[in-house]
Amino acid sequence: MGSRSLGMTPPSLRDTSPADGGGKRFALAEWQLALPLALAFAALFLAPLLLLVGVSFFNDDKITQPGFGSWVKFFGDPFNYKVIGDTLLLGVKTVCATIVVGYPLALVYLDLGARLQKVLLFIIIMPLLLSVVVRTFAWIVVLGREGMVNQVLIGLGLISEPLRLLQTELGLVISLTQIEMPLMLLPLISVMSRLDPNLRDASAALGASRWRTLFTVIVPLSMPGLVAGCLLVFASSTTAFISQTVIGGVRLIYLPLLIWQQSLVVYNWPLAAVASLSLVVSVLSVIAALSYLGRRSSGHLHG
Amino acid sequence: MGRKRSLGDISYSLVIGGIAILALLIIVTPVVVALMTSFTEGRSLKFPPTGFSFRWYEQLFDASQSRQIHKAAGNSLLVACYSTLFGVVLATLASLGLARNRHRMARVADSFFMSPLVLPGITFGLAALVYFSTLGFRPSLDLMIAGHLMVTMPFILRTTTASLSQLDPALLDSSQSLGASWLYTLRRVTLPLIAPGIAAGAFLAFMASIDNVPVSLFLSNARTDTLPIRMWGMMESTLDVRVAAVSGVLITSAFVLMLVMEWTVGLTRRMRD
Amino acid sequence: MIRQPFSRRNLLAGASALGGISFLPGLAHAKGSIVATTYPGTWEDAYRGVVAPMLKKKDDIDLELAPLFAMDQIGKAKAARGAPPFDVFVLDPGPRIVGMDGGLFEKFDPKKLANLGKLPAGFADDVGVQVSAQVVGIAYNPKKVPAPKSWADLLKDPWVSRLGLTGFQTTFGTSSLIELSKLFGGSLTNIDPALAELKKVLPKIAAVGLPAAMPGLFQQGQCDVMYTNTQTVATLKGKGIDVEFVKPESGSIAFYTTMHIAKGTAELANAYKYLDLVVGKEVQEALTKPPYNFVPVNKDVPLPADLPMKSLDEMTKYVEHDWSKINPLRAAWIEKFNKEMAK
Repeated sequence: MGSRSLGMTPPSLRDTSPADGGGKRFALAEWQLALPLALAFAALFLAPLLLLVGVSFFNDDKITQPGFGSWVKFFGDPFNYKVIGDTLLLGVKTVCATIVVGYPLALVYLDLGARLQKVLLFIIIMPLLLSVVVRTFAWIVVLGREGMVNQVLIGLGLISEPLRLLQTELGLVISLTQIEMPLMLLPLISVMSRLDPNLRDASAALGASRWRTLFTVIVPLSMPGLVAGCLLVFASSTTAFISQTVIGGVRLIYLPLLIWQQSLVVYNWPLAAVASLSLVVSVLSVIAALSYLGRRSSGHLHG
Repeated sequence: MGRKRSLGDISYSLVIGGIAILALLIIVTPVVVALMTSFTEGRSLKFPPTGFSFRWYEQLFDASQSRQIHKAAGNSLLVACYSTLFGVVLATLASLGLARNRHRMARVADSFFMSPLVLPGITFGLAALVYFSTLGFRPSLDLMIAGHLMVTMPFILRTTTASLSQLDPALLDSSQSLGASWLYTLRRVTLPLIAPGIAAGAFLAFMASIDNVPVSLFLSNARTDTLPIRMWGMMESTLDVRVAAVSGVLITSAFVLMLVMEWTVGLTRRMRD
Repeated sequence: MIRQPFSRRNLLAGASALGGISFLPGLAHAKGSIVATTYPGTWEDAYRGVVAPMLKKKDDIDLELAPLFAMDQIGKAKAARGAPPFDVFVLDPGPRIVGMDGGLFEKFDPKKLANLGKLPAGFADDVGVQVSAQVVGIAYNPKKVPAPKSWADLLKDPWVSRLGLTGFQTTFGTSSLIELSKLFGGSLTNIDPALAELKKVLPKIAAVGLPAAMPGLFQQGQCDVMYTNTQTVATLKGKGIDVEFVKPESGSIAFYTTMHIAKGTAELANAYKYLDLVVGKEVQEALTKPPYNFVPVNKDVPLPADLPMKSLDEMTKYVEHDWSKINPLRAAWIEKFNKEMAK
């Protein structure tokens, strides 16, 4: 399926005017490159998703009575609004933490020599190499009551009683920041390292301070990478079931916990479907808004 | 350079440098904890570790004691390789088609393709199993590859799109106006420029596949269980130290892979010069 | 949705058609093989290490094991729409009832078990056979806290501030909370008193988590008291972890792990052979020993010394819960637990 549309596309591309925005035919031909993915997506993802939508319109866990019962039940409970809100908020907090902590690291990366850059890159990807199973254990060690952070703080005399970090949202956001850092930094660095170094020098030569250069030159130019990073971090942290439940504990309730309970503990699949679709829709709308902003900023750059 | 460093520049170095160190600490600490734990002499996963030994690595590599782990690791690698490969081809093509398209539909499609990332794994796993079973397919490696392809493809799409949207369109246009064919431009101009983005995405996708629990849980059969599923079992009931040793092996192999790449890339560069 | 379950034949046809397209070998049932589920961890180690070789030797049947938790087995079997990816389930009482309601099991004929006479009366019925007992009580770290005496102690200092709490997701969590509730005027079907009492001490409780997180939390000193079964305690102890089991004053909770033959299996005869072997003396005896520490069900196998009872008969005096009454309430309980415990 892939080869056919591939074979067709290039000639039609060549035939059209190469000028910027060269008419509808250009755009039409180019988007055909997305067809193979679209087909695979439709067959392997969209169909199961539609099935899920279908399941959500049943009232009972035996999936025999069609109706809006599950939707009414889910959205009739104010508690679930809070859970949706908390889930999105967790994503936002994690994204902010990852930007604040990760962006400076990306800046440092830019200033390093080629060899050190490779070392730093390796360090940056390390969280991904740590299996989720081990990662959660390691965070228990770091954040626990008798954990490293508490021991250091007590040793320094800053606190006398151990802080509660595990099973709090703060601890959860810290641990998510580590896991999500590569998702933020890889797109960011791949975009930033293609920035023209002369731009920064020029800015400095014109007498701009480094802070000014950062906010007026580097940040706007790195926008596509930043937006991509934010999308990945947001999506991944809102669905990180294992971290949310093991490090955050089950007193912090986010949608993935509800979905897990409904689908695998009480087997109410219609309700699980409703909860899942709510998560998808709410997170996707945030993502759509973000990528719209991203497009606007990159559109602003190029045109 | 550095003739007079203003207060602002000093504060810049302090703040940026300070946060970068914090970032490194956050990234590295859990990794160090896991690695240290893996060298314990004790019988269970515990920090601080008691003693130092390679016994858990020896046990992990022992064919008779860890046969199931090896099998699971093989399955995981196979699934990750195939799904990443398909993902790179499909997602790169798609982002070439969509990244610079200003049409509203392109934007909608782009966001839509991200949805596997936000559908919780349990839900997709269950829905996919119901769907495939209805079509008459039974859980197998093929289904797992298909499932993993869907949940990891967005990583590649995202990073590649980010790289593409940063390309100066004038560059591509000038290449084509000079008479270069679309394919030639793609091969000699576009692909080299977006390669870091594709590579970043492929790596994210690969690791996401290696670490995926929920999709594998539902689409695997008795013969095709995967590494993370096996590791959950080992962790939950027995606090098996081999779980940490697996991470040690992953980190080491990534390090070696990086050295090898460095070496071969360096070599090809030298050969070209 | 698709209400008509696919017949096995259709599925096999579909699977073999897929085999033509497939570039990787699919699952093929070899002659003399069986796919059984097992719980991950100790169960899997034991079944792989002990049962599989014995089955091969005795009946020349290859045992393929799929390590899955009870609820995942049910989820998977339900989603597979009448073509379960395994032939035999292993389940706890709660999921067992879900499986019965969902029609996931083949009707079981106890008479086909040669070892039926070795099992206490009622251990095999037309649903399945009980293969192991589980005894649930309180586990604590003797180096950190004194031994608690009853479920109610969990809500008092010093235990409450060291308590690792799990909710209604697991069999042992649900059972423990029911027992706690009984002490405060609740009953098998009323867990509100337990939640009310827990809520009073909630800020003190060390951890509220999923069962999967508990061993790690316990090992690292995040919590020093939890409810669990004797097998887990014995396994952790064998790993050098400071942990002891206490039988609460009101009695330990006993329940049985059961095995069931999946509806539509093509390996019916082999499944019976497998189940017969599992409840036989040889397997039961081997699994009772460390590092496996199972509680046996075969009358010929003596109970290990460190269990809180001397014989299976004594276990009948233990608290047993009627899961057919619990299951319909569980969804509401989980919801209540979420809301009461939420920050």
